[in-house]
Amino acid sequence: MTALELISLANQVLFVGLFAAVLVRALGRPSRAAWDTVLLFGSIAAVVVLARVSGWVGLSDQPWLTGVTLLLLSVAPYAMIRLVDDFSRTPRWVLPAGAIAFALVGALGFVAFATVPQLYEIVTIAWFLGVGGYAAYAFGRAAAESGGITRRRMAAVAIGAVLFIGAIVTVFADALATGVSFEAVPQLAAFFAVIAFFVGFAPPSWIRRAWREPDLRRFLERSLHLSALADERRAVVEIQRAAAAALGATGASIGLAISGRPVLRYVGQDGEWIEYPDDAFIAGRAFREQRRVVAMDATEADPENAAVYRLNAATTVIAAPITSEERRIGALSVYADRAPIFVEDDLWLLELLADHTAVLLESRKLAAVESSLRAREESARLKEEFLSAAAHDLRTPLTVVLGQAELLERRAARDPTAPVDAAGLSRLAREARRLRELVTELLDAQRLEQGVAVMDPVTTDLRGVVESVGERYHTQGIDLKTVVPDAPVLASVDVPRFEQVVDNLLENALKYAAGSVLPEVTLVEDEGEGRLTVIDHGAGVPEDERERIFDRFYRATNVQAVTDTGIGLGLYICRRVVEAHGGRIWVEPTPGGGSTFIVVVPAQRAPEPDAPAGATVTLPAISGEAAADA
Amino acid sequence: MRDVRVLIVDDEPDIRATVSAMLEIEGYEVAEAANGADALHVLEERRPDVILLDMRMPVLDGWGFAAELRRRGHGTPIVVMTAARDAAHWAAEIAAAAFVAKPFGFDDLIAAVEQVSPSA
Repeated sequence: MTALELISLANQVLFVGLFAAVLVRALGRPSRAAWDTVLLFGSIAAVVVLARVSGWVGLSDQPWLTGVTLLLLSVAPYAMIRLVDDFSRTPRWVLPAGAIAFALVGALGFVAFATVPQLYEIVTIAWFLGVGGYAAYAFGRAAAESGGITRRRMAAVAIGAVLFIGAIVTVFADALATGVSFEAVPQLAAFFAVIAFFVGFAPPSWIRRAWREPDLRRFLERSLHLSALADERRAVVEIQRAAAAALGATGASIGLAISGRPVLRYVGQDGEWIEYPDDAFIAGRAFREQRRVVAMDATEADPENAAVYRLNAATTVIAAPITSEERRIGALSVYADRAPIFVEDDLWLLELLADHTAVLLESRKLAAVESSLRAREESARLKEEFLSAAAHDLRTPLTVVLGQAELLERRAARDPTAPVDAAGLSRLAREARRLRELVTELLDAQRLEQGVAVMDPVTTDLRGVVESVGERYHTQGIDLKTVVPDAPVLASVDVPRFEQVVDNLLENALKYAAGSVLPEVTLVEDEGEGRLTVIDHGAGVPEDERERIFDRFYRATNVQAVTDTGIGLGLYICRRVVEAHGGRIWVEPTPGGGSTFIVVVPAQRAPEPDAPAGATVTLPAISGEAAADA
Repeated sequence: MRDVRVLIVDDEPDIRATVSAMLEIEGYEVAEAANGADALHVLEERRPDVILLDMRMPVLDGWGFAAELRRRGHGTPIVVMTAARDAAHWAAEIAAAAFVAKPFGFDDLIAAVEQVSPSA
């Protein structure tokens, strides 16, 4: 046996083996594409078997047998264009035209081969080169356009088709051009063709595994950062993209179950959640039945939602449940505008991706639980600190009240005629008032926390607020610098609350910037906003704490040592009150040292000049008169 | 007169005044300081027998003051006077002779000071 004969034998065995493999597959998972594959390799296998058998029984020379062989051989290009149509929708005329051409070529084999073999050979070469070549080109283009395993298998099929057509064409060309022998070429071409077809249509599992790995890795790499994404919707969209890319599909969609309700929610085109019944769509079927579902034609399998599938160019939909142990998380479905020939591989990968999606989503959930636990711990710690700080703050004035009261009591007992200790009494009263203020502040914070703070906004000239606060400090011997504009700055505010904000800011400025230049209060109207600033020249707020100081119970680290008093509520109350007015509050460093607290509230337009007299609130009285209420 | 001098160190003027008055009516001689640094000055002038010490104060706190006091070789007994929950712990930290937790009453204060006063 020569080497050539050995190759020829190997070719015959491989083609018959390939036919058997695709037949088994088509019987297991019937689809048009599967049967078209059977048609392609069945015809080739039939040619091979026919040649062998006829050789044994000595029928090789029968002209009808030659006709049948030629007919079977010319099936291959037709089967190829059918396959092309299976995955990429050829123009409508291609298949009928191919069938007619096939019939003509086949008939010609019977009629003309014996009489005008040259004519037949030329027609056959044209048939293979033209139609087979078109199919090979279409396979190649499909490979370039798809991704993942499909791409690799398509490429193998395209290479196989080119080699196979090359082999056939060389055989016929050989017969035409007498004197030149290409005998080895077609055999070798056919050998590599069948290998490529095997790899493309019936790859052994080790090849599949090797092929799947880069896609899986890419999927995981794309999804790695997902646990850091705060928004679950964005995470879902990312996983969808990664899954579609790994499978080389048009798109993917994830439906997530909501415990206790029979719905799956999806991320819609606008990025918002949309809920559908948990049995809607092919994905719903996979979720409900907890198994993978293949719909080669989604509009047919789920006519109710045909419009949705058409809108998404989803011809074929495959779906798998996303399940973590016993927990049903949702369903992953992948759709394509063509029916994939290699659906079984896609399913395998899809299930793997669904498992990984389950892990990704679960780990996100765990991370969320962890951070909410941490937040709860933090809030418990703050509450604890608050209680301890509040208790501490109450104890200092209480020490004075108690000590002073007992002192007075003792003094009176020892000498009832002794003059009244005026200084002691005023200390007692002062610290009792301080206690009252602290208690009020605590209750305020509590009320604000529950969102029931009474807000009674009236249109007010903010200049009045600033000036009345300045006046109050003046009576205590503190001459603040206040700067207000000439024109009124009208805003709708709850006056006592707004005064409390200014008071708190000034108290802080005096407390933490003691001994330095007195704080300054300015008011301006700027772009429809009333802007009030309290400027101090104290220690300032460390840069990384400028937001946190407005948190409840938070005290800047550089003031904790300065004084024991303060429970971290003042600025928190300020922020809540300002926000309730639709405004903002923040702190900036004062040039040259210190802090500048800025409060911005929406300003109201000044009333028309011909507004009734007295409609505007005048300085410095704070009244409930609402000028621009209408 | 007992002839015992007590130095009151606290940043709250009302606390200082109240404690002073409580001690004075019991016959103690008192001096006041608003923080640790202040107290170190007063210390050299008045040579107190007992120091009533608040812990959290600006400029120089109770810990810093106690350390400097010992460094200078003074063995003056200290009574820690604080509103914090860790009063006992803090007292131990600076090797204070006693502590009173705010809010303390008349008798608590006098008892603590008496306990650590050098016997006349």
